[in-house]
Amino acid sequence: MPPIRPRERDALLQSLRAGVVPRLGQYLIQVGRAEELKALIADIDRVADGGSTFRLVIGEYGAGKTFFLNLVRSIAIEKKLVTMHADLNPDRRLQSSGGQARSLFAELTRNTATRTRPEGGGLAGILEKFISQAQEEAGLLSLSTEQVVRRQTAQLAEMVNGYDFADVIIAYWRGFDTGNEQLKSDAIRWMRGEFSTRTDARAALNVRTIVDDASVYDQLKLLAKFVRLAGYNGLLICLDELVNLYKLTNTQARNSNYEQILRILNDSLQGSAEGIGFILGGTPEFLLDTRRGLYSYPALQSRLAQNTFAKSGLTDLSGPVIRLTALTPEDFYLLLEKLRDVYAFGNPERYLLPDEGVAAFMQHCGKRLGESYFRTPRTTITSFIDLLAILDAHQDVQWTSLIEGHSVEPDRGGDLEKITEDDDELASFKL
Amino acid sequence: MTNLPASNSEASSFLLLDPRIQQWIWAQGWTSLRSIQQQAIAPLLAAQSDVILAAATSAGKTEAAFLPLLTRLLQGGGHEGSQAGFILSISPLKALINDQTQRLSALCESLDLPVLGWHGDVTAGKKLRFLQGLRGVLVITPESLEALFVNKGTTIPAFATAIRSIVVDELHSFIDTERGKQVQSLMNRLDLAAGTRITRVGLSATLGDTALAADFLRPGQQRQVTTIDTGSEGYELRLIVRGYLDDWEKPQAEATTVAADPVGFPSCAPSNVQDDDVPGSAKHAIAEYLYQHLRGSNNLVFPNSRGKVEEYADLLRRYSERENVPNEFWTHHGSLSREIREEAEAALKQGTTAATAICTTTLELGIDIGNIRSVVQIGPPPSVASLRQRLGRSGRRAGEPAILRCLCREDKLTPKSPLSDRLREGLVQTIAMVRLLTQAWVEPPRREAVHASTLVQQLLSVIAQRGGATAQELWTTLVSSGTFTQVTKAEFIELLHALAVKEILQQESAGALLPGPVGEELINSYDFYSAFTSGEEFRLLAEGRTLGSIPIARPLTIGQRIIFAGQRWRVQKIEIQERLILVSSDPGGAPPSFDGAGGRVHDRVRQEMKKVLSESTPIPFLDRFATAMLEEARTSFRLAHLDQASVVPDGAGVLLLTWHGDWANDALALLLTASGHETTNEGVFLRLSDATAPQVVHTLEKLAQQAAPTVEALRIRPKDAMKEKWDWLLPEQLLLRSFASSELDLESLPGLIHQLLERTRDVRSTGERREGT
Repeated sequence: MPPIRPRERDALLQSLRAGVVPRLGQYLIQVGRAEELKALIADIDRVADGGSTFRLVIGEYGAGKTFFLNLVRSIAIEKKLVTMHADLNPDRRLQSSGGQARSLFAELTRNTATRTRPEGGGLAGILEKFISQAQEEAGLLSLSTEQVVRRQTAQLAEMVNGYDFADVIIAYWRGFDTGNEQLKSDAIRWMRGEFSTRTDARAALNVRTIVDDASVYDQLKLLAKFVRLAGYNGLLICLDELVNLYKLTNTQARNSNYEQILRILNDSLQGSAEGIGFILGGTPEFLLDTRRGLYSYPALQSRLAQNTFAKSGLTDLSGPVIRLTALTPEDFYLLLEKLRDVYAFGNPERYLLPDEGVAAFMQHCGKRLGESYFRTPRTTITSFIDLLAILDAHQDVQWTSLIEGHSVEPDRGGDLEKITEDDDELASFKL
Repeated sequence: MTNLPASNSEASSFLLLDPRIQQWIWAQGWTSLRSIQQQAIAPLLAAQSDVILAAATSAGKTEAAFLPLLTRLLQGGGHEGSQAGFILSISPLKALINDQTQRLSALCESLDLPVLGWHGDVTAGKKLRFLQGLRGVLVITPESLEALFVNKGTTIPAFATAIRSIVVDELHSFIDTERGKQVQSLMNRLDLAAGTRITRVGLSATLGDTALAADFLRPGQQRQVTTIDTGSEGYELRLIVRGYLDDWEKPQAEATTVAADPVGFPSCAPSNVQDDDVPGSAKHAIAEYLYQHLRGSNNLVFPNSRGKVEEYADLLRRYSERENVPNEFWTHHGSLSREIREEAEAALKQGTTAATAICTTTLELGIDIGNIRSVVQIGPPPSVASLRQRLGRSGRRAGEPAILRCLCREDKLTPKSPLSDRLREGLVQTIAMVRLLTQAWVEPPRREAVHASTLVQQLLSVIAQRGGATAQELWTTLVSSGTFTQVTKAEFIELLHALAVKEILQQESAGALLPGPVGEELINSYDFYSAFTSGEEFRLLAEGRTLGSIPIARPLTIGQRIIFAGQRWRVQKIEIQERLILVSSDPGGAPPSFDGAGGRVHDRVRQEMKKVLSESTPIPFLDRFATAMLEEARTSFRLAHLDQASVVPDGAGVLLLTWHGDWANDALALLLTASGHETTNEGVFLRLSDATAPQVVHTLEKLAQQAAPTVEALRIRPKDAMKEKWDWLLPEQLLLRSFASSELDLESLPGLIHQLLERTRDVRSTGERREGT
């Protein structure tokens, strides 16, 4: 086992302790879900081969969807894919007329990650790579770089909205060639969807269109094609918190978003998109509710229906829907062990808690939260790291005395818990 | 404009205004500020507390509020980034919004601040531009504001944070209505979204009880509201009450319905109107009087109902046509199309030719209509407050008196006349109300009602705004933070369950409540945003021009002749699907029926009525006919010993005279019905249709011994309690409590019963004495 890098360890522990999903070092604590992961790695490979994929990752609040998505993303980055990710919210949707779709696009481009820029903001890097690739090729073919750039972008121009996209790439090249930084940054701004009026775009780049609400998906397809031209293997797009579409109260708005999902699904599964993969994370009700979930849209219901043979322990991971099964107590035990290991920099001699301590902690949580404690591990993990931190700071304290007095709160899901006044009757309100 | 001597305080408060605003005031040629405008400057600039500005209509309240508020806005209002932010003004009517926007635009143009009137008829582009800038002044209806919450929920925090102050125009029209509750809730939600207390400024007509108005503006914290009331400033009032006797004998049945609903809608069945339409009837006499006295000046005529507006407008038009003079009489009421109403407003405002509007409450509010010479009230006014508002329209120019003419139509007495006719209820009520008006009394707003119907709307709106909300959040936002404080937690929880059963709400696994299938339909429907019902209506179209609308519940037939907008029409075609009725010009017709309820009479008015009847001194402001009628009424009153008696046998039943307002009367009627006597509230008395006096006394004695009656004791049928828009969704208990809180006066019942018994005992003892001697 390779030594644990301090940077990764600290980032991992910090984010876990804050109850948010780590962006670094996920592999260190990955347990279980080997089959699901294998299926998605296969997806990544398919995208890298120029194919396209579509997956829905479905799991309860706190089941580890976001963690899983981030893990897949980090693997994709390792496999030379460009990844983009964003959480949906009422202001970021797949389809809208009030700027919400463009806002999602802007968020996605901000979160463009490549191997050199795993934490995001990789769009400029991709463009630079494209140019340097073109320069190299120009050298080999003894053509001018401009000619190569034009030849490459000609492929983009054939696609929907591709003509202006190609123009923007060429504008970037001109900026690069003539040292015009303004032109370069205008081109990047255009690609990020930051131009809000056509007039501005025309003045800056002499193109007639902008990335608007209606063209978001087409732009993503263009980007997928472009990253392949720039030498990457493909584009993986992770969208999380799709439950926000489920929560939209306007029926029409919700259905038009589902329609967009259907379009993506059709494109991906028919193979008409190239080098692009979608992973969407959501809760079971987002998928299954026939009144307002994806299943309320008949065309999606038939496409996403579960394999009727997949029952009682048999799973089918080839369909578009992956259900994240809950962690088992055994998985969870392993997870805690890994945490202990990470905390001690992978050095067994520095373990703060003996094996029976881990078991005792689990027992304690079971008592406090009931049998579901390992299904939604967020709060338990936070609490476990708190325990380790105390043990670390006070070497003389006995772990046995600490565990009993430790309190863990049940996970109430979603975003960081909102602070509300203490009121049991309403807090636990159930219809 | 009053010309006040320049005092020190005036000069100094004027100097507190922004120099640019001072300049604008000079440019207008104003020689001084009005008293309310001066008094408002200091408290509004300090912005330490909420402020209510109460004054008569067109006393310059808008300027009084906006001059200092704009000064604060220009000076940055204590916030970083000067001139950022805007003033939100909530106004009840589109017409008022247009009016206010126009007036403010003149001022704000010189200050380089945008002003936007926001309602259904304003283009989306203008709205979007305002939302991007969020500066200047926004004048909006509660419904449009609600729509903003529902449809642009995520932008609300930014929107709310940019608000520097909230102005509520025509505050009195919101108090104690379901719509007012909505306004309170919206203001509260803006405070919550902004995370701070946004100062509120209420513009109001003169109020009966300033504490209640303050409590409306800032629930639970009325002490922190400053009230500036200049309404009691003296003005000269010229007053006459004229009586008109209908010689024509009406059938008995119709007479009782009129008695039951003295201020409500007339019975406009075509047959009646035909009979009634004979020259020489009281209606013609009144129209003749109006024609003689109102031509040549600007006046307002309030006949209390839309149906009567049409009748009189039609008569007056015919008079004008007969005499070959231009028609100076215009119609104005809520069912007319905007264009027609605007024509009437413009005619009143332009001032070159005389114009008189026959109108309803729509012209009571502060729409600018220029100078009005006199106000005519036909029949008893709905309330003293409303009479005061109407009167406030006239005599605004210095040296001109306010002129009020009250015209009362009463039936000729016959041996069969019911008691209400013999007491001249309409006339006596008018006299009582006029007397209260001259004593500077107006009805105080009623204690806060629950208005649970609006709570349902607000629940759904909060859920739509935030894309789902937990029960806890809803409770905090709507109840514990101060809007629906009368709802208990148990009731709140029961309500949520009841809404889930009706598929209005559903819950997702993390606990957030979302709209269910039915709830979603409600939210997505265009009429979700209003807290009050507006029944479906047919649009009336004449040669491509929209005349207005009439309620769908009162259908017309093809070929029927109707009076609308003061003209006569014949129905040509009815398009059920498009909700359209095509009409063409035609001689002959009767006004269509409209829905609507008459005003409810306050305790104090009934007490004053009793006083009017029991006195014997002549009342100075009555004409000869009215004096004679009052004499008749006083005689009937004396003969029946009504100053003492409270239980009077009448035919097969019994009348109960309470001299209380309609809220107490309704409550008592329900209580007696629940105790086994069928009882109806007929205004000045309750009618028990089959009971004898001793039985009633016995029941009252029994009731007096019981504990104070609760809502349950009244045994109200839920379907009778459904008055407000979303009442059908409420659980029964909450529904009944909500109903009782706004429609009934339960607290005064024990006292009232006690009083009634006391008076019967007195009557019995005097009766016995009389027999003894």
